[in-house]
Amino acid sequence: MTWFSKSTTTFGFLLLAHACYSAYEHSALQSHRAASLSSLSATQQQAASSSLPLDISLETIVATVIITLGLVLNTAKLRPIQWRVWAGQIERAGEEGARSSSGEVDKDYVGNPFKLLESRPGFVDIRKQRKEFAEWVKQQ
Amino acid sequence: MPTEREFQVAPIVPESVMHNTKALSNLQSLSASIFGVAAGILGLESYSGFLFYFIFTILTTMLFYTFRVAPTSLKSGLGAFDTSRYFRTQYEFWAGGVFGGLAGYILTWTLFYGLVRA
Repeated sequence: MTWFSKSTTTFGFLLLAHACYSAYEHSALQSHRAASLSSLSATQQQAASSSLPLDISLETIVATVIITLGLVLNTAKLRPIQWRVWAGQIERAGEEGARSSSGEVDKDYVGNPFKLLESRPGFVDIRKQRKEFAEWVKQQ
Repeated sequence: MPTEREFQVAPIVPESVMHNTKALSNLQSLSASIFGVAAGILGLESYSGFLFYFIFTILTTMLFYTFRVAPTSLKSGLGAFDTSRYFRTQYEFWAGGVFGGLAGYILTWTLFYGLVRA
């Protein structure tokens, strides 16, 4: 999914940059026209900044919506805040549940919070180990 | 508001709360700057600019709900527009980011307004 969100965001930024440049050109053209008109006839006054053409406005709004969509798709996966829901998700999904959209495990992924309780080392046969040690000492 | 007793019965994971809040606030502040660029290009002034910001912030929150919260939240049996699976309060989700991104919005709004109408 990551290439999709990244390309959506990039496409939106391209559209926005194009709209920005178009708006700049439009305002420059308008002020130039107003200056030349006023030099031709002093009585003819025209507003220097007329409203933006409809296609530039539409392009800006569409670009904003596309960028927003890309940014939303690029956010990290949320985690349940209730302990039982969260622990249950980890139990079921394991590392897969903590993977970000680019396929890496999140840095702050801690794993099963109950790992300490679920594994216990077996009993040590201390008499047997003592006997083996005694035999080893005798062999030296 | 949940009481102390409810927190004892259903404990909350602070790391998850921080992770979710960070994801949402990062998105809000980043998108607020983009909205400022758009408002500057459109040449909005005074109230219409703030109206633009509020409309697009609500749109962002709705998109975030649709893509990040709703799929798992609805599956787990919560009602529509209920964010209690990922956020502690409804207010935090729906209105928390509105004023956080306003400063960045005004910054880029004025900047691009000045750039385009040089």
